[in-house]
Amino acid sequence: MTNDLMLLMPLIIVGAGAILLMLSSAYQKLTHEMAAYGSALVFAVAFLVQLSACITGNAVLFSGAFNGLLVASSFSKAAGLIILACGFFTAMSSHTYFKQNDFCSPEYYSLMVFAASGMLLLTMAQELITVFIALEIMSLAIYILVGYDRKNVISTEAVLKYLMLGAFAGAFLTMGAAFVYGATGSTKFVKIAQYVAAHGFMQTPALIGGSFFILVAFLFKAAAFPFHAWVVDVYDGASVPVTGYMATGLKTAIFAVFANFLVLDASLQSGWITYLFYIAVFTMFVGNLIAIGQQSLKRMLAASGIVHTGYLLIALVAVSTKDFTGSVIAYYLAAYAASTLGIFCALSYLGGAGEKRSTFDDFKGLAKSRPYSAAAVSVFLLSMAGIPPTAGFMGKFYIITSAIEAGQVTLAVLGIVSSIISMWYYLRLIINMYFCEAEEQFGEAVPSNLAPICTFVLVVCVFAISLYPVVI
Amino acid sequence: MIHSYLYLSIILFCLGIVGVISRRNVFTVFMSIELMLNAANLAFVAFARVHESMDGHVLAMMVMAVAAAEAALALAVVILLHKHKSKLDTNVFSLLKG
Repeated sequence: MTNDLMLLMPLIIVGAGAILLMLSSAYQKLTHEMAAYGSALVFAVAFLVQLSACITGNAVLFSGAFNGLLVASSFSKAAGLIILACGFFTAMSSHTYFKQNDFCSPEYYSLMVFAASGMLLLTMAQELITVFIALEIMSLAIYILVGYDRKNVISTEAVLKYLMLGAFAGAFLTMGAAFVYGATGSTKFVKIAQYVAAHGFMQTPALIGGSFFILVAFLFKAAAFPFHAWVVDVYDGASVPVTGYMATGLKTAIFAVFANFLVLDASLQSGWITYLFYIAVFTMFVGNLIAIGQQSLKRMLAASGIVHTGYLLIALVAVSTKDFTGSVIAYYLAAYAASTLGIFCALSYLGGAGEKRSTFDDFKGLAKSRPYSAAAVSVFLLSMAGIPPTAGFMGKFYIITSAIEAGQVTLAVLGIVSSIISMWYYLRLIINMYFCEAEEQFGEAVPSNLAPICTFVLVVCVFAISLYPVVI
Repeated sequence: MIHSYLYLSIILFCLGIVGVISRRNVFTVFMSIELMLNAANLAFVAFARVHESMDGHVLAMMVMAVAAAEAALALAVVILLHKHKSKLDTNVFSLLKG
C-alpha cells in the first residue's frame, strides 16, 4: 500500500502542482517568472521522487482500488523520468524565451504541468479507456500551448490543424477500444492478453479491427508515415519551448503506451509486424525527404522528429513480447530527448525577439560571436545524426543491434542508410555556423541565464547518457 | 438485435469520417468528430448489453466527459479563428504548407 503510494507519488505531485499553479494564477501578484520557478520545482521534486521509486520493482498499483488499471514497470518509470526532465528543461527555457516574447501568463506553466500529468498517466496505463483519458489530458493541454500566442495567426492555424486531426485520431482510439471491448469483454490489457492467448488473434475480426483503429491513433500521435503531414506545420506554428516539449515529452509518452499495448500478446504483435516494418521504412525516408527540403530550422527539426519516430518504430518491430523491458526504446528516447531539448533550449535564447531568426541562413557565422552556444548546438546535432561518442550514436547502435537480433537485417540496414542521409541536413547547420561569414552580430544580450545554463547541462547529459552503458 | 446497433454505430462513424474529410466549415468538422465519438459510445453500450456487464456504460460516460472538454476547447478555437479572419472556412487557413 505505501509502496503503491510511493510509485504513484510523481503523478500525484505533478497533478496537485498543476492544480495549485492554476489556482494561484488567479492572483495578480503571481508573475509568470514565479510560475516558471514553481513549475520547475514541481518537476524537480517529482523527478527526485520518481528516481527514488526506481529502486523498487514492478508493481500493479492499488490492485484492489484501481482494479489493475495502472502498472508501474521499469519501462514506465524510465519514461516518467524522461518526461519529468523534459518538463523541467522546458520550464527553464520558457522562462528565458518569454523575456523576449511577450504573450505569457502564469497559466502557461500550469498547462505544461497538466500535460506532464497526462503523459505520466499514459506511461502507466494498462487499460484502453485510461489510455484515452490520459491521452486527452495531455493533448488538450498541448493544444492550448500550441495556440498560446493568440495574436499570431500562424499559431492559430497550427492549433486548428492539430485540434482537428488530433480529435479525429482520438475518435479512432475510442472506436478501437469499443471494438476490442466487444470482442474480449474487457478493456484491460491483462484480460485482452488472456483472451487472445485462449482464442487466437486472427480468429476474432472485431479484435483485428479494434487493434487496427488503436494503432492508427498511436501512429498519428507519434507522427508515423501516413499520418505525418501535420507535424511540420504544428511544430512550425508553436512557440519554440512548446515545440521542444512536444517533440520530446509527448513522443516519449506515446511510445511508452504504444510499446505496452503492442507487447500484450505475441500473436497480436506478429499480426501487425509486417505493416509496422513498412511504416518504419517509409517514416524514415519520407521524413528525410521532407527535412532536406526545409529552409526553416524548426521545420527541419520537426521533419527530423519524423525520422526519429522511424527509428523508434524499428525498435518496436524488434521488441520481444517475452520478458519485455523496453530498455532499448527508453534509452533511445532519453538520448533523443536530451539532444532535441538542447537544441530547442538554445533556440529559445538565440532566436531573438519574436523568433526573428528561424532559417538556416539566419545562423550563419554564429560560431564567431557565440562560440560556446555554437559548440553546444553542434554537439546536439551530431548526437541526432548519430556520431560517436554522443548519446544518439549509442541509441542507434542499440536499436540496430536489437533489430539484427530479432532477424530484421533489412530494417537494420535501411536504418543505417537513413541515418547517413540525415547527416545532410544536420551538417548543413554546422557548416552555416562555422564556415559562413556572419550577416549579423548576434549582439543582443541574453535576457536570462537559465536557458544557456540548461543548454550546457544538456550537453553534459548527452555525453553522460552515452557513457551510462559503459559505466554500468 | 446487436447487429442492428453495430451497423448503426458503423454508419455513424463513417458519416463522421466523411464529414471531417469533405466539409470545409470548422463547425461541421467538429460536429462530425463528435458524431464519431458518439458512434463509439453506441458501440460501447451495445457491447455492454452483449456481455451483460456495466463496464461499457461506464466507459461511454467517460468518453462523453472527455468529448465535452474537447468541444469546449474546439469552440474556443472557433472564436479565435473568427477573430482573425471573420470566416470559418478551413480553406482560408493555408499559411502553413506541410
